[in-house]
Amino acid sequence: MSRALGLVWGLFDTLLVLAGVACLVFALLHLVPGDPVAVMLGESARPADAAALRHQLGLDRPLAEQLGGFFTQLAQGDLGESLQQHRPVTTLIGEHLPATLELAGAAFLIAVAVALPLGIIAARHAHHWPDRLASGFALFGLSVPNFWLGPMLILLFSIYLGLTPVSGRSEPGSLILPAITLGLSMAAITTRMVRSTLLEVLAQPFIRTARAKGEGESRVMWRHALPNAALPLLTLLGLQLGALLAGAVITETVFAWPGIGTLLVSAISQRDYPLVQGCVLLISGSYVLINRLTDLLYGVFDPRVRGL
Amino acid sequence: MRATRWLLLGLALWLAGCTQPPPDAIRFALATLPANLDPLFATDAASERINRLLYQSLTDFDEQSRAVPALARWQRLAADHYRFELLGDSRFHDGTPLRATDVVATYRALLDPATASPHRGSFSHLREVRAVGDRQVDFLLDRADPLFPGLLTIGILPARLLAEGHDFGTRPVGSGPLQFVGRPASGELLLRRRADDQLIRFIQVPDPTVRTLKLIAGEVDLLQNDLPPELVQYLEDHDGIRVARVAGSTFSYIGFNLADPVTADRRVRRAVAHAIDRAAIVRYLFHGGARLAESILPPDHWAGADDIAPLPFDPARARALLAEIGHGPGQPLRLVYKTSTDPFRLRVAAVFQAQLARVGIDLDIQSHDWGSFFGDIKAGRFQMYSLSWVGVRSPDILRYVFHSRSLPPTGANRGRYHSEQVDSLLEQAGRQADPAPYRQVQQQVHDDLVYVPLWYEDNVLVTRDDIVGYRLRRDGAYDGLVTVTRMHAP
Repeated sequence: MSRALGLVWGLFDTLLVLAGVACLVFALLHLVPGDPVAVMLGESARPADAAALRHQLGLDRPLAEQLGGFFTQLAQGDLGESLQQHRPVTTLIGEHLPATLELAGAAFLIAVAVALPLGIIAARHAHHWPDRLASGFALFGLSVPNFWLGPMLILLFSIYLGLTPVSGRSEPGSLILPAITLGLSMAAITTRMVRSTLLEVLAQPFIRTARAKGEGESRVMWRHALPNAALPLLTLLGLQLGALLAGAVITETVFAWPGIGTLLVSAISQRDYPLVQGCVLLISGSYVLINRLTDLLYGVFDPRVRGL
Repeated sequence: MRATRWLLLGLALWLAGCTQPPPDAIRFALATLPANLDPLFATDAASERINRLLYQSLTDFDEQSRAVPALARWQRLAADHYRFELLGDSRFHDGTPLRATDVVATYRALLDPATASPHRGSFSHLREVRAVGDRQVDFLLDRADPLFPGLLTIGILPARLLAEGHDFGTRPVGSGPLQFVGRPASGELLLRRRADDQLIRFIQVPDPTVRTLKLIAGEVDLLQNDLPPELVQYLEDHDGIRVARVAGSTFSYIGFNLADPVTADRRVRRAVAHAIDRAAIVRYLFHGGARLAESILPPDHWAGADDIAPLPFDPARARALLAEIGHGPGQPLRLVYKTSTDPFRLRVAAVFQAQLARVGIDLDIQSHDWGSFFGDIKAGRFQMYSLSWVGVRSPDILRYVFHSRSLPPTGANRGRYHSEQVDSLLEQAGRQADPAPYRQVQQQVHDDLVYVPLWYEDNVLVTRDDIVGYRLRRDGAYDGLVTVTRMHAP
């Protein structure tokens, strides 16, 4: 398959996945109990008013017809209007997305900055104390839930030491604690992955050959081992970045971080269908996009993949 | 060395950035920001409380929940005809005077089906609104309603902006004591007090623990309600923080489904009521921050019933009632209890479960997200549930909750209660503003145990000690922001 054809197929595949996700979200939201019209009009609404509003919103049409309308709007870049806030969904998402990107980006950087050196040190000193320390850190990072870690970090750094703001996004330094909270578990997983992948690569014959040729340990690690360990790490980092975008709900809530997570939670509780659909589509779209980018990056690290 | 120097310089700059100068605004942390600042659409508590400050309404309520004049006084010209006359010379925030035409435009917009206002249902008997000159407005009804003035608490909007299709939800323009300034950041709302230009900043902080820590760290100045009792107690012991309480009117209850074959049996409902030790829950879970309730309307409401005998905690009686229907410790009665995912409500549910287990009731707690939970309650898919009535003012709520014609979706008779006597008393009450029939309804409903009345939660205000002049209200409104100030150190 030529590269161009591969890209087109990849794009088609991405669109297909997104369309599937959109169908699934649409169906699930309309099947769970709870009526958006009842939420909008309250309990004192007259049945005639409720019926009129249901008609106005198109909620009385057959599901297939509603789904068709939804896809037509989607093709025009219109995600509809929030039932509760009476504002376009794209505007609301546009207001909250920068905060989520900022948090996810910072958490990702922290995770990579911590996990790469720790994983390398652990692999180089496997089964010795640096490895045990790194494994202990990884275990801690995996075991500690965000809803506990967040308040503990606030107590230490904001209340006792007074170094960072407690929460919010408007003050200097307010990104630090939520990014650490969100990045810690990712750092832990990545540390373990870097260590195990490197250990596997370091046991390969070509590494033995490199050492036999008299190359130093640093060169062996950076020139031979790390590039060969990059592919599984890329896959993991891609998945993790997607998870950071989708899974920041708890961290956003703890730190009053005005991102997509908090928007989605309030939309779900208010049965704000268009807003939930918009947020879920954004999250799943980001996931798919990041995975596609990861696939493309494979080619950068491993020329053998380019032709596939 | 050079790198270390740069690092130290960066750290110093960052720390300097973290040291905030004294704030201009008084900062009020809320669990959720108002969903909609347009009074025609606002239904959540935060929106209604902030809209009271942004807009003025024709009427308001006194301490006993009687309707009193606010923007206008009224005359009842006939049973179905009210005339309101504007008082004073109010002006909107854009400088234009508030006239009768603005009142008419607001209520006509509300009644317009195209507006899809959630408040329209409450005005189903309002036939016509018309201006009489510049300062008087007539309201014509389809039927007599002695409580009608109490409905007119919708904020008045400028007719000109209504005609232009102005978006009041995002850029409110009212005539209230506070004026919209902007949203300086996502999750924040900034208002200015018209009297002295004092800025009031609302900051959304969903997590109660983090709200508490922000207050201690001096990042916010005020918290009101939405705090678990243990956090309030923690704050009471903290230096530099003041806690004030006032008895509230938010009524919590356990509701039963009377259409369910098990909970339709009054003995089951009575057994549940006798098995729950409300006083112990108030003492240990609320740390005393609530008072026991017997009815939706508090006893100090003008139509409240203060002579209803409380339901005693009597596990022996509960066991005897269960034995009558063939249940006991060896053969427990299984009941399903639905609640939301709120951690405190779940803790209360766990206490109910333990107390009911002692008399032979096996309570299955089912916790759902708010939308699913409320959807189930309205659809009648429950045996037992617990909820609260917030901001109850008009005794007409009794019709809305207990009249047999108030089944969802037209009302909130979620338990499918039917009593001809109660229906007849409610019809009678609707013809005159007399507390007697309302009191009889409350007694009857209490006897029939449609609800197990639980408690009225106190309103709690927590401030930093340089904040003064905030008067906490029974209804939990934020009206204290009209007078609150910050004391500056000499």
